[in-house]
Amino acid sequence: MNIFVVLIGLAFGFLIVATGLSNYTVIHDMLLLREPDVFLLMGSSFAVAMPLLWILRRRSWKTPMAGELSLNRVPNERKHVYGGALFGVGWATAGTCPGPAIGMVASGSLLGLVVMAGLGSGIILRNLAAGNIFFKSDTAIQPSRSAANP
Amino acid sequence: MYGHDSQNRFTRLGTRGTLSSQFQVKEACNVDLLPERLAWYIGGPLIGLLVVALYAVANKHLGITTAYLQVMTFVRSPRNAEMWRVWLFAGIVGGSLIAAFLKGGPSPNLTYGALGNLLPIAVIVPVLFVGGMFMGFGARWGGGCTSGHGISGAAILSRGALVATVTFMATAIGLTLIVHLITGGKL
Repeated sequence: MNIFVVLIGLAFGFLIVATGLSNYTVIHDMLLLREPDVFLLMGSSFAVAMPLLWILRRRSWKTPMAGELSLNRVPNERKHVYGGALFGVGWATAGTCPGPAIGMVASGSLLGLVVMAGLGSGIILRNLAAGNIFFKSDTAIQPSRSAANP
Repeated sequence: MYGHDSQNRFTRLGTRGTLSSQFQVKEACNVDLLPERLAWYIGGPLIGLLVVALYAVANKHLGITTAYLQVMTFVRSPRNAEMWRVWLFAGIVGGSLIAAFLKGGPSPNLTYGALGNLLPIAVIVPVLFVGGMFMGFGARWGGGCTSGHGISGAAILSRGALVATVTFMATAIGLTLIVHLITGGKL
């Protein structure tokens, strides 16, 4: 499992840097609506992944490593809007997001390290706000979910 | 080591050019084995296939913010960490480095595009730190970032992920355009 995940990570990190997603100017030009490349990249990724996963799920695909395929679909909640809006503010400010920030640092950007430090701090702050000091699993964030949707 | 490889490639690819242009091609190949940017129509579908592969083989959802979280958990208490997310993070670091080396090697720098040109270093550091904090806090609150919601979440037609994606896209584009207007096009 871990070896397979490392391979996926290697390929993902490689593609992030190779496609230029780790470049501030590429993301900034995308958010300025100057060039469509990143939107097209996300769109083509969706166009490939969505039908394949849909078919696999429909056929109750048995994964070799972890039982029957279960897609991690989440219902729409207010937290997606609040969290998404905050994320968008940070994304517009830094011109990078969590994955590409790693690629930025790997390409030699020292200021990318500042973004990564900020990301870590923000994640810890949110965990503290949700009353989850020990960063266990995602399910430990449950209290905030019920608080947001009484 | 790969210099030899690229020379072979040069002799195969460069037969049409003149001697001097062949020499330039050769020089360029030795420095950059990757184009400046891999086209979206190659990178996008491949990223989509990675999302499918991780689900189809390991039944896992590709997301980066949780990988950050688990790396920090691992540092604090290795027993509590979800190891596959730590390995995912390690893989992304390795893959990014491979691509950076193929692009001519990581060169330590303090540049930051147009933002770096506009702001002095003493200002840009806190701005980027706070920007990162907003992203980290928002991604944990909303349950995902551009990868977990925008790429993987959308691909499985998760409603929450689609709402989060539309929200952060709209917010980021709106804010970027507003800042562009306020700064008179400098940013």
